[in-house]
Amino acid sequence: MLKTPGHYDYMPWRRRPKITWPNGAQIAVWLAPNIEHYELNPPPNPRRTPWPRPLPDVLNYAWRDYGNRAGFWRMADVMAKHGVRGSVSLNVAVCDHYPEIIERCLELDWELFSHGTYNTRYFYEMDEAMQREVIRDSRETIRRVSGQNLDGWLTPAISNDETTQHVLAEEGILYTLDMTHDDQPTPVNTRAGRLVSIPYSLEINDVPLFVTRDTPAERYAAICKAQFDQLYEEGAESGTVMCMPLHPYLIGQPHRIAALDQVLAHITGHDKVWLATGREIARHYIDHHLADHQAWIAEGTP
Amino acid sequence: MTLPPDYTDYPIRRRAMDHDRYAYRALPRAAPIAWPGGARVALWVAVHVGHYPMDMRLKPFAIPGGMERPYPSYWDFTQRDYGNRIGIYRMMKAMAARGVKGTALISATLAREYPVLMDEIEAAGWEPACAGLDMGHLHHGDIAEAEERSRFAEATALLRGRFGDAVTGWHSPAHSESARTPDLVAGAGFTWTSGWPNDDMPYPFATTAGTLTAMPLSQDLSDQRLLMQQNLATEDYCSAILAAHQTLDAEARATGSGRILTLSVTPWLMGQPHRIRAFGALLDAILARGAVWSAAGAEIAAAWRAQAS
Repeated sequence: MLKTPGHYDYMPWRRRPKITWPNGAQIAVWLAPNIEHYELNPPPNPRRTPWPRPLPDVLNYAWRDYGNRAGFWRMADVMAKHGVRGSVSLNVAVCDHYPEIIERCLELDWELFSHGTYNTRYFYEMDEAMQREVIRDSRETIRRVSGQNLDGWLTPAISNDETTQHVLAEEGILYTLDMTHDDQPTPVNTRAGRLVSIPYSLEINDVPLFVTRDTPAERYAAICKAQFDQLYEEGAESGTVMCMPLHPYLIGQPHRIAALDQVLAHITGHDKVWLATGREIARHYIDHHLADHQAWIAEGTP
Repeated sequence: MTLPPDYTDYPIRRRAMDHDRYAYRALPRAAPIAWPGGARVALWVAVHVGHYPMDMRLKPFAIPGGMERPYPSYWDFTQRDYGNRIGIYRMMKAMAARGVKGTALISATLAREYPVLMDEIEAAGWEPACAGLDMGHLHHGDIAEAEERSRFAEATALLRGRFGDAVTGWHSPAHSESARTPDLVAGAGFTWTSGWPNDDMPYPFATTAGTLTAMPLSQDLSDQRLLMQQNLATEDYCSAILAAHQTLDAEARATGSGRILTLSVTPWLMGQPHRIRAFGALLDAILARGAVWSAAGAEIAAAWRAQAS
């Protein structure tokens, strides 16, 4: 067993090489709606039982299913209202089950990246060949429905195994979201290829907040705004990234959608904000700042 | 099946503790302590600089911040590690801006893994204290003596190898100890310890190797308890701290004896972007109440010892 992921070097949050975002922005803000399908009758996995109740777990299945039927549409409208694009953390089987959702995403010029095939097919104990098969399926599916390249990756339920980041790099994935160690992009060390990490978030992610931590919607909005305000201020020194992971079955509920509206109004009310997608952040970082970070690490982060 | 007759025998039922580590002391009757500058409340900011190895087990019990999801939990590991990469620097900045001192309760493994972080802790003027090897190597009642001695010796050697004699405090990770841990701590030359959250003021803690100063590191008011275990809002945490200050300050006024307000805080919680401003505002609010002495654990322990003996 590994004591650490071993994919990144220590980078203290002081005197880092300056990151600059396009047009003098201090912060790159990106929204990652997780558009998922949880199977009613998923196969077992040795390390995780998909549903807490005996199958069919009607309550928990339907809760997620609400997101695709109702929550997504509401969430997408609010994002469109504020001119904020999404970068979809996509269970690619959604392309087959609910093409209406994909059409709406593409109409809004959203990025699609992979969150595996289904959120109930974990990577725990998947051998490398099977991981590659899933990644290639994702690439082909996303290209087929959107013409987009598969650039980003978040393992379903963050169930990555020890080798997953290596396989992602070898498969030509640009950025991974499986690690939440930083507020800026960082290099990812893998046995071959090139991979970077883009900040995702478990702190302002609606699942931990609403499901695990029992946060009222108003508190959620306050937390997101506070997160933005601090990262916006720090971005004057070196550009930061704020990611808002969303789950339509939670944020798209009628009693919560106003919170998203408020947060997006707050963010778009600032001028030095780059409303980006994951791919855009990764490309900019790789093209302009990755080498500086690597050199700084090699010098011992002076 | 019934209980044996001796189940209702009470051989140590007398006016004393049920162990010989310390004597009972009623807080209102503790000898008065004067802090430097006539301060009423000593502010002790104890920062948990912990390393949570990804292969740690949730045994013999689950600690706050442990790897709760299936191995390999990048989810849990990288969230904790965020504190050591980023969160702690925000806290250092907030504390330095207000002249507030800190004590770092360090997983000694970090002296090897993150030497740059150790340099920054030293540069910030924080007191380095040893909090065991790491959060995956606890001290507890089911551990063999040889194993405990080995992890204790490794932790002590690692941290003293970096900070030398500046390390005088020991905090058992997750407030967990075996019956012999305090003896090892005193035997290795530590002078203060903070594993037993049972008082608002220091007291003498007996061991086979001399007397330790037990420091009040509140668990009931720690950010791990309030923010992580109880899921309270940051505002509720701040209100709780300020309420504690108000009570302790009032007691100091009434008794003429100083009190200690301890912030048991954690970079992966308090150093998050959405909390750090509240942390700064909390420090401001405490300092604004006046007669506050910001000090490291070793300073408070020394000031107490000088008057208590």
